[in-house]
Amino acid sequence: MPRSITLILLTALLAFGAVDCFAQSTTGTVSMSATVSKFVEINSGGSVTLTGNSGGGVTTDGVTNSPLAVSINLGELGPSNTNSFVSASVPLKLRSNAAYVLSMTATVTSSGTTASKIGAADVGFGLGTASRTGLGVNAGADTNATSGDPTLPANGSVNGTTGRYEFTAVRSNLSAFSSATTALSGPIIMNAVPRSNANGLTVPAMFAVKPQFFENGTTTISVTFTVTAP
Amino acid sequence: MRLRELPFALLSALIFLAFAQTISAQALDISSGGQPTITGAIGGSVTGSADVRNDLVVTINFGEVSPLNTNSIVKVVVPVALRSNQPYQVAVSMSGLNNANAQAVQASDVGFGLQNIRVLGGAGKICTQSAHTIRSPFDNDPSLSATVGASGRVSYTSSLGSLSGSTVILSGPQLSKNNSAIRQQSDGYVFDAIFTLTPQFFAAGVSSATLIFTISAGPNVPC
Repeated sequence: MPRSITLILLTALLAFGAVDCFAQSTTGTVSMSATVSKFVEINSGGSVTLTGNSGGGVTTDGVTNSPLAVSINLGELGPSNTNSFVSASVPLKLRSNAAYVLSMTATVTSSGTTASKIGAADVGFGLGTASRTGLGVNAGADTNATSGDPTLPANGSVNGTTGRYEFTAVRSNLSAFSSATTALSGPIIMNAVPRSNANGLTVPAMFAVKPQFFENGTTTISVTFTVTAP
Repeated sequence: MRLRELPFALLSALIFLAFAQTISAQALDISSGGQPTITGAIGGSVTGSADVRNDLVVTINFGEVSPLNTNSIVKVVVPVALRSNQPYQVAVSMSGLNNANAQAVQASDVGFGLQNIRVLGGAGKICTQSAHTIRSPFDNDPSLSATVGASGRVSYTSSLGSLSGSTVILSGPQLSKNNSAIRQQSDGYVFDAIFTLTPQFFAAGVSSATLIFTISAGPNVPC
């Protein structure tokens, strides 16, 4: 090939190469992605209701939509309290963008030394009716693994042999929750609404003790609720 | 190279440069308009070139948009540069974001608006007889127009749900004074494309979408 032709071709190549720098385009691309992780939360659903107590009271009350940290003094649980039950109802509020499981763990510690001291089986427990109401709350059927209000006649009775009052229904006392045990479960709670939407699923956690001739002393009951999205 | 061949080579180079300019010159151009930014994100990011001479290739990761992100909104601003020697229009088309679950992130959950169209340097053409017009309903900052709708879900004056096929979002008169086939740093206009996503109780999952911005000859308006 003549040298002049070669020169022309090389020049053309360089020229085209130069033009390609910052060449124009009539299209541009914006790609986007977002992640939605499973989210669950439990908060207080409102004030605690304490009934049948003799002495005692709500030491730290629940505040709607605030972290659940309630403290209750059930007062006198011996025979001097002539009410049939000392009951506490603690409203819970749950929210999730996925199916949820509410589990509970409870410990009961008494200062007594005999079988007549207050034990976990003497503390009745149950969840009331779960309510899904308000804007942005998804309709759905929840499964209550407890037997509901522990003071219901169907959930307990006096033991014919020992004479001690017992909460006999399924998961109707705290002995059923010595380790994390499901109390409530259900489908997604919230529709696509912002967190500032204060609605959610509310359910009362009900505790009850039948005043009896318990061994005298003091008792501490500690309950931890945990909500997960399996 | 012999000395007598030098003028011939230079002439050849000039001819080819001129030829190359002619065959590759484009009257319409879209490119990066500067560094994109993101605010309010948890685990999110945005990547793109800060150099207005580079192609518009932006990747947005809004990050976590469940209630785990307690910020009120995730906002991304993408500057887009335009150049033309004639009236133009910019259209956007979208693919993706077709979640079957109505509670998952939908196109209408991503706010999309245009703001702040401005001259890119001294070679941007300033026309007095026609304006650069952001088409309805996109003339807004979706971070400011976000409202809670009747269902409790956040809605915007305009969103990616406002796009239908290839949707014209902007048009106007000539953008550039010169007619260079090579991008300059100061020869057109820039606008901000603003994208927002409000963290909500969306159904869990990962969502993605791709937008194609296209500039083409627009309505024949005077400069």
